[in-house]
Formats: sequence, structure tokens, C-alpha cells
Amino acid sequence: MAVQIPEDRLKIARLSRISIVDVLLWALRIGVLGVVIAGTIGTLINGRYGWTQWVDFVVFGLTLGSIYAQIALGYTMVYGVLRLINFAHGDFMMSGAFSAFFVANAFYRSGFLESHPVPALLCILITSMIVSTAVALLAERFAYRPFRRVVGLAPLICAIGVSFFLQQTFRGMFGSSIRAYPDPSWQRATISFLGIEVQAVELLVIGLAVLFMIGLYLIVQYTKMGKAMRAVAEDGDAAALMGIDVDKVVVFTFMLGGAMAGIAGVFYCFVYKQVYFYMGFTPGIKAFGAAVLGGIGSIPGAVLGGFFLGLVESVGPALFLDGLGIPGPYQLRDVIAFTLLIMVLIFRPNGILGERLGKKRA
Amino acid sequence: MPYLEVDDLHVGYGQIAALKGVSLSVEKGQLVTLVGANGAGKTTLLRTISGLLRPSRGSVNFDGQRIDAMEAHKIAGTGLVQVPEGRRIFGRLTVSENLELGAFTRNDKAEIMADKERMMTVFPRLKERFRQLAGTLSGGEQQMVATARALMARPKALLMDEPTMGLSPIMVEQVFDTIQTIHAQGVTILLVEQNALMALSVADYGYVLESGHIVLEGQGDALVDDERVRHAYLG
Ligand SMILES: Nc1ncnc2c1ncn2[C@@H]1O[C@H](COP(=O)(O)OP(=O)(O)OP(=O)(O)O)[C@@H](O)[C@H]1O
Ligand SMILES: [Mg+2]
Repeated sequence: MAVQIPEDRLKIARLSRISIVDVLLWALRIGVLGVVIAGTIGTLINGRYGWTQWVDFVVFGLTLGSIYAQIALGYTMVYGVLRLINFAHGDFMMSGAFSAFFVANAFYRSGFLESHPVPALLCILITSMIVSTAVALLAERFAYRPFRRVVGLAPLICAIGVSFFLQQTFRGMFGSSIRAYPDPSWQRATISFLGIEVQAVELLVIGLAVLFMIGLYLIVQYTKMGKAMRAVAEDGDAAALMGIDVDKVVVFTFMLGGAMAGIAGVFYCFVYKQVYFYMGFTPGIKAFGAAVLGGIGSIPGAVLGGFFLGLVESVGPALFLDGLGIPGPYQLRDVIAFTLLIMVLIFRPNGILGERLGKKRA
Repeated sequence: MPYLEVDDLHVGYGQIAALKGVSLSVEKGQLVTLVGANGAGKTTLLRTISGLLRPSRGSVNFDGQRIDAMEAHKIAGTGLVQVPEGRRIFGRLTVSENLELGAFTRNDKAEIMADKERMMTVFPRLKERFRQLAGTLSGGEQQMVATARALMARPKALLMDEPTMGLSPIMVEQVFDTIQTIHAQGVTILLVEQNALMALSVADYGYVLESGHIVLEGQGDALVDDERVRHAYLG
């Protein structure tokens, strides 16, 4: 028997569903959009920046973006396979960056870094990759594996613990001072192109990052372990029934993520020219944001999210804030980055390329 | 000693006992059916045999080897392969990749390629959909992928959990044809089915599971004629 609900009762029910929070959220969205549009128009009318400067911003944005993308890949792959937010991933990067610093410093003192950039860079990259990967594998084996079948918040808390552990270990071993990463002349070289001066090292970072990411894509897409990894990400039990050793796949995933974090650590040194025990935190959080932005679990999403975040951070202050007459817009780049991140997630809770998490593993 | 032997198996979920001393055996080359109502414990039994669940008591032996403490991927490696309930294909991978993963434990690349080709003749419907994401296929096609994926392992024995679930009558017929073809090629099969009449009529031997106990067993056709089975499962 169908129950009759009076028309006006239905209307009230519908209205009461629009809460004050919804109204505030909409106001926030419209407000931020207004600021962005007004700022952009203001900046463009002002014409304070020539197009060479814009190119500068974009190149720097892509450089940051390739670092974020590489870190975000580690987050997204581990999440895909284990449904774990590996809070310590930024610290894997820090570990690699520290080792890169020591190698680079030794090379710098002996003059090798100045005279033989290519073999020196290779050594630095390989060292950083090995150290980051080793740290990632140790964390997996001794911290994460015992929590594999544990549901709830415990694995995440364990990951936060690993993060603190790594930070404090490096602090204990090497002190809390900020160390300057060596800066040989080839790292300061610029390339002129159509009247625009670009930092050669930025192009190097972008180029190598794209190369490594293509490499990663090929591994994940075409190798046996890569396919097994995607299978485990989708359905671990079904993968085990096919004879896939899930433990091995998890180790493989941490290896790939660790290696990418190691590369990102070297690139981070190139851009910011410093290392310290806490250096992994902010890029880690940002890259995690980038991974969520792209749709956590999605590999192309992590790359997209990383580059998006890098560009917003680099172009955003000048484009959105300068036109509003806000002084020192660059101080606010993190505010912009995170605001946009939140905005995107309000409109697309599952990220740009993400799918609804609920429908996975039905 | 039987090819696959389950002896006095007890399995529980926390405090809830799902299997309370199940024993059954499958001889080499046999097609054995296990029927039972919803919640009887059929899936629990197959998951335990495959190593996804651990029994609290009892043993499972396959091909002369005790497997109840073995890891799931190693059990698959012994040639005992499962087509799980609900198909569980990898929806975001292509049909082709699904088949390759089925052959994960094998290393003979050329033979794997040949087997992939062979699957295309066994399941012609999959041929046009080879490069398609498996998740975009229809239910019947997904069942073909699940079966083909398991066959890619060149299994010695297959565990099939309700392969006809949710399929149209025509597809159900097709699945049974496929099962009999696979059986005729010498693969030992333990089949769990809701279509009790059909399943028992093709089976060499049958078991009836009820609330975690085997309550009845016998030759397939004998069980079909059994009054109690008719009453409970065949309507
Ligand atoms: N993950 C679980 N946690 C707790 N109880 C479970 C779980 N899985 C199954 N059970 C219980 O164990 C019993 C047996 O379930 P099982 O899935 O093995 O039945 P089934 O015979 O396969 O049923 P169906 O025909 O519906 O597939 C049921 O009572 C079920 O509620
Ligand atoms: Mg079942």
C-alpha cells in the first residue's frame, strides 16, 4: 500500500536538507572563484609581468610539478595496493636527499662534481634511489606488514610513527641544522631560447622526471609484476587465487615508490639547494594532496595532480593575487595551493581521475 | 588416497562457526558437485581449500600434499585453481591482461600465447573484446573471462563457485557445456551450484551441505531422485 505524503510536507523535507553548512560552502566556492577571477583580470590588465616572466613561472611550476608528481606516484601506488596512506613517504624522499647530499658534497670537495657533471649526477641519483628504496622496504617489512590485515586507523597511525621515527633518526644522526646542497656552476647555467632565459637545471629536472615517469608507466603497464600490481590493487584475494604472491607485489610497489621518491629527493635538492631532517614533510603533504587531487589510486591522476599543483603554486600568486594588490603574494603560495586543492575536492570528491571509492571491491 | 580430500574441516568467522566438520573427497578426473542453500558454507569451504581462510581443525590434501597451511598463491601453484564466486575478474584490466594473469605461475611464454589463442576459439565472444577493459563486459562474458583466466593456469583441478550466478537460461546452458568440455579434457572439477538439478545431473558424485554439515552424498543421478533433495532444492 502506498502512503500518501502531503505536498507541503515534501517541500519542507526538501528545504530542510539544504543546511546552513551547504549555504556556507556555496558562499565559499563562489567567493574563491570571485577572488580568482578578479585577481586574474586585475593582473592581466595591470600587465606587470611580461611574457618572459610568465614562461619563467610556468617552467618553475613544471619543475615543482615533476617533483610532486614523482612523490605522489609513491602515495598512489601504495594506496592502490594496500589502501594505506603512507604518511612516511615524504621521509623516504628525505632519506634519499640526505644521501644525495653526502655524495654530492664529497664530489664537490674533490672537484669531480664540477668537472664531470654527468657521471656525478648518475652516482647521486643512483645512491638516492637505493637509499630511499631501502628505507621504504625496511618500513614495509618491519612496520607496515604486521598491520596488513588490521582494519581501522592503526595502520595510518603506524605510518605517522614511521614518519616521526625517520625524521628523528636523521636528526639524531646528522643534527637539525639546514645544510647547503653544493651548487656547482653547471647547476646555475641558463639556456637562452627565443630571448627567454631558463634555468638549465629546471629543464633537466623536468626532462628526467618525464623520462622516469614514462619508465614507470612501461613497467606498470607491460611487465608481469606491473600487471600483477594492478591486479592486486583491484582485488588482492582474486590475485592470490591466480598464484600471485601478494607480499612480493607489495614489496615491488614499495620499491617503485621508493625509487621515485629517491629521484624526487635529488631534484628537490637541485631546486631548493638544502637538506634537513624535516624537509620531507611539506612536499610529502603536498604530493599527497596532489595524489588525492588526481584521484588516489590512479597513476595518471598522480602525475596530473602533481603538475597541476606545481603550476598553481608557481603561477597562482602572480596571476590570482597580484591583481588584487596583495603585497608579497609569494608568501601565500601554499595558501593558494591548498585552497585550490580543497576547491577541486569540493567539486570532485574523488579527484580528477578518481572513481567512487565505495564501488571498489564490491 | 583421493585426489582432493577434505577431512573434518572446521572453519569459523570469529565466534561464528561456518563449517562444523566437513569431509569430502574428489577422485582424479571426477566432476563432483556441492549443493546447498544460501549460507550453508559452500563458499567458505572453497575459500578454505584455496588457502584464503584458515581452518581451526581438520585437513585438506591435494595431489598427495597437505595444503591447509599453505599460502593461497602457493596452492594455486600446485595446480588447484579457483573460479571464485561473483567472478572477481580484474575489471580495470583488459581481457587479454586478465588471461595473462591467469597464467601467472607459468613461465613458458610461447605456450601461454598459444593458450591465449586457444581461449579465443573456446570463447569466440571474447575475441572481439580482447583489448577491452574486462569490467565493461556483460555478466556472461565476464564469466567466460573468469573461466578462461582459470584455465590459463592449466589447472589439474578446478574449484568453481556458482559460475551460473545471475546468468540468463541460455548462458547457464553454455556454462554447463563449457564445464563438461573442460571435464572431458581431464580436469578434475569441484562445482558449487545453485542450479542443483542441472549440476547433479552432470556430476559423477554429489554432496549436500546444510549449515556447515554434509547431510547427504551419493551418485549425481541418485541424488537428483532423492526425495529429500527434491524437496529442499528442486522445488
Ligand atoms: N566474512 C564473513 N564474516 C562473518 N560471517 C561470514 C562471512 N562470510 C560468510 N559468513 C557466514 O558464514 C556462513 C556461510 O557462508 P558462505 O558464504 O560460505 O555460504 P554459501 O553457502 O556460499 O552461501 P551462498 O549460496 O549464498 O553463496 C553464513 O552464515 C555467512 O553468514
Ligand atoms: Mg557462496
